[in-house]
Amino acid sequence: MKIVGVCACCSGIAHTYMARKAIVDAANEAGDEIHMETQGTIGVEDELTSEQIEQADCILLCVDVHIEGTTRFKDKKVMKIPTDLAIKAPKQIIKKIHEELGKRA
Amino acid sequence: MAKKMKKVGIKAPILTAIGYLLPLVVASGLLIAIGNLTGGSTVTTLDGMTVPDALTTLGGLGMGLLPSFIAGYIAYAIADRPGLAPGFLMGQIASFLGAGFLGGMIGGILAGYIALVLETYLSVPKWAEALMPMMIIPTLTAIAGGLIMFFVLGGPISAITTALNAFIKNLDQSQKVAYGFIIGFIGCIDYGGAISKVPNLICDGLLADGIMGPEGIKVLAAMVPPFGVSLAYLISKAVHKPIYYKEEVENIKVAFPMGLCMISEGVIPIAMNDLIRTVICTATGCGVCGAISFALGNESPVPSGGVFVIPAMSKPLVAVFALLAGTCVTAVMLVLIKKRIDPEMERKVEEEENVDLSGLSFS
Repeated sequence: MKIVGVCACCSGIAHTYMARKAIVDAANEAGDEIHMETQGTIGVEDELTSEQIEQADCILLCVDVHIEGTTRFKDKKVMKIPTDLAIKAPKQIIKKIHEELGKRA
Repeated sequence: MAKKMKKVGIKAPILTAIGYLLPLVVASGLLIAIGNLTGGSTVTTLDGMTVPDALTTLGGLGMGLLPSFIAGYIAYAIADRPGLAPGFLMGQIASFLGAGFLGGMIGGILAGYIALVLETYLSVPKWAEALMPMMIIPTLTAIAGGLIMFFVLGGPISAITTALNAFIKNLDQSQKVAYGFIIGFIGCIDYGGAISKVPNLICDGLLADGIMGPEGIKVLAAMVPPFGVSLAYLISKAVHKPIYYKEEVENIKVAFPMGLCMISEGVIPIAMNDLIRTVICTATGCGVCGAISFALGNESPVPSGGVFVIPAMSKPLVAVFALLAGTCVTAVMLVLIKKRIDPEMERKVEEEENVDLSGLSFS
């Protein structure tokens, strides 16, 4: 499965990157391909390409704040969670994504 | 055709605004501190302006932007770009009312939702669509929001701000201990996360209105968790009661220098392994630190910068004392209540705590 998404927390220095690491690790472990963009205080890093977004099965937003560029995900399936949930239970979130997408297929 | 307004709530916009606000407040606060320490003061003309004067004055101008930043970025987070300009304008009204922080927040929410309603429900002929985000929404929002701010909300907002400021100025010693403890305690409870941003934002807001005591608590208390955990490690070595695994010790070595700069997030990976015990110890230490600093009248004109801004505080010795006291309380508590472990053993990979994800779905 291909997942892409964005991580962004309030101060943009810690939780953003912790959430990214947790989710990416969990997805890799489940054998998924994942690309996560971060929008921290420093600005946008690892920006998603339009191909990545186009090919993705779903969008996972781990965000506590308003983020840039949500129009990119207009026609996609989007799941939005707070960053602390992504840090706390990344594996369960990836599993949940699999379940949700499986239901629709 | 019924259009649906997008759901944004209030919490995410406020957090967004804080994210944008922090660098401004930090830079401005440090400018004031450096300027003041080198003998500068706020001046109003170029004649005879010295470099320290320039720094202090610029810092003051930066602090003046604070209400606009709050209001502007709250409105931006609610209504996207068309909300930004009217949001900034609401912030200017807040400054005009002398109600910087509260006025900025209310003005931002007001402008954001007016702009969002216009974006969603106002339909214009095709040729005018390009003018919507550029002219129509900002102007209409500014008119509607501005009139409401001046004539409806202005009086109450000023009154509340004045009352709140008077209340804090008139707190007696025991009340200061209590409030200092509470601000310190909540301000560190999730190590710079969403909960701690609330009291921290209030402290920043009070700073904008010239009340600097709470800001002192915020700056000092934020350093207590990393310092406390580091000291706990040293004490645990000294008393031969190992409480941290190797991997955690590595994290402590990272958390301490981050702590010097007032970034308490470094403690999170250590706290995660033993969350309840660690939070009890660190939050209590932060509370003690806050109570001492506030009760003994320490004030900070700078909202961030860690140990490096202690010289800029009104009572640096009190600040150091409060910081050390909080650190010791945290460290001693940690050593006492954390379980003895075998430091050579690798920490077992713990299963994730089960969380209820049933509410999650794709939209």
